[in-house]
Amino acid sequence: MPKIKLFLAITVGIGIFGANAIAGDANLVKEGEKIFNTKKIGNCLACHAVNGKNINNPGNLGPKLQGLSAWPKQALYDKVYNPYTTNPTSAMPPFGLNGVLDDHQIKAVVAYLKTIK
Amino acid sequence: MIGNIIKTSVVLVIGTTMINAGSFNTQAEKDRKALVSYFMKKFSNPAKNKTLFPYANSKDFENLMPVKKVEDFRLGSYAYNKEGRSQYDEINEMPPYEDNVDAGEELYNKTKGIKQCFPDPTIAGEYPKFDQKKGKVVTISVAIDNCLKANGQKPWKMTKGKIADLEAYFASKTKEAGKKVHITIPSKEAAEAYERGKKIYYSQRGYLKLSCATCHVQGAGNRVRREVLSPLLGHTTHFPVYRLKWQGLGTLERRIKGCEKNQGENPHKPGSQWMSEMLYFMAYMSNGLPVDGPDIRK
Ligand code: HEC
Ligand code: HEC
Repeated sequence: MPKIKLFLAITVGIGIFGANAIAGDANLVKEGEKIFNTKKIGNCLACHAVNGKNINNPGNLGPKLQGLSAWPKQALYDKVYNPYTTNPTSAMPPFGLNGVLDDHQIKAVVAYLKTIK
Repeated sequence: MIGNIIKTSVVLVIGTTMINAGSFNTQAEKDRKALVSYFMKKFSNPAKNKTLFPYANSKDFENLMPVKKVEDFRLGSYAYNKEGRSQYDEINEMPPYEDNVDAGEELYNKTKGIKQCFPDPTIAGEYPKFDQKKGKVVTISVAIDNCLKANGQKPWKMTKGKIADLEAYFASKTKEAGKKVHITIPSKEAAEAYERGKKIYYSQRGYLKLSCATCHVQGAGNRVRREVLSPLLGHTTHFPVYRLKWQGLGTLERRIKGCEKNQGENPHKPGSQWMSEMLYFMAYMSNGLPVDGPDIRK
């Protein structure tokens, strides 16, 4: 029980986004898209195709991303930060936990993911 | 009567040594059989085993050919990747590694000590070997390195150049002789080395936290970008390879270095215990497959 409380507290803690940093920021979306498609940064396209976007030869080790605009930002943030929280056997790298992407970069990626229908 | 007893005891002795020799590889045999049946199930009819390719679409399935024989896995992803296979067949009409095999033969005949260390060149399927005296795994590259040192020669790089040429010669002689991969686990220490190698293979590595198995067991047949992933089964059968990307020949150690980088890992040294024990595990998994090197890869 106390463990669960602590977990919630942490999640909520991470959850407080700088609201104006994300809201409708076209530059942030652009930055996120670049991270998504650049090998030396996020390299998400190695594993993911994206619904409605023209991606150059995406892989299929992960699912085609779709309907993400309906996801809460926090759920997307958590997925990219550490996919093991929702799927302990995920083949997806934990981009936040391992320090590949910093907080700002993950928020940019989330802004981009939110544009995926 | 006595004759009978002697015969029986001989049979018994042979019987027990067989059981003993067998017992050190019991686990490895279990692992190998499980892997073979996983890959045969997955690839004998990919479209029927959609759950094993959870994110593949209909176009992906069109590109996946059924694999009929376990031997075909020596071709790596070209065993099932239709598009890759046709490119492979085309390049193979004029194999680019033939000069390397010739150069390897010359090194074999002219390098001091090599012929004495390896009187039989048809040995590509026997390595890595567990050296009982040294108590450790010796890969073919390490064996060559040891031989050069014992003969007062300067060591060769273990990734490309002379060592790749010599290994290409060994591989082609072994293939010509029709020999198969034949890795043994002769002792408890050897079985422990095998287990350590297996653990390395299945552990998440590097900052991307990917295991070799993520891409080459579960991931085999899926794609990273356009690259169709090859299976662990058959991974060691056909090295060294001439890679178009390298414009030259490289050893298994060289290839793995690239994959370690993909995992976000600092590559381990060829010849290290880490590399040798992982290769021991990998090669055991291919036991019984034909030696098929050298070969070409994209
Ligand atoms: C090595 C392969 C790999 C890479 C690289 C990768 N992913 Fe994933 N991703 C997966 C797999 C496998 C899943 C499905 C399992 C899961 O949900 O954890 C997944 C799931 C997801 C999901 C959930 C999709 C859904 O519909 O449930 C999102 C969102 C996502 N990834 C975003 C990203 C982003 C953003 C990046 C890059 C920063 C990325 N992924 C990089 C393999 C990968
Ligand atoms: C991010 C995915 C990924 C990971 C993790 C990975 N590899 Fe690879 N590997 C590839 C790709 C892509 C290729 C090239 C296509 C192919 O043949 O599979 C490849 C090729 C290979 C080959 C050459 C196969 C051939 O027939 O020429 C070997 C051997 C290999 N990998 C071993 C390993 C080992 C050992 C590890 C772990 C230390 C590892 N790989 C981890 C993606 C990966």
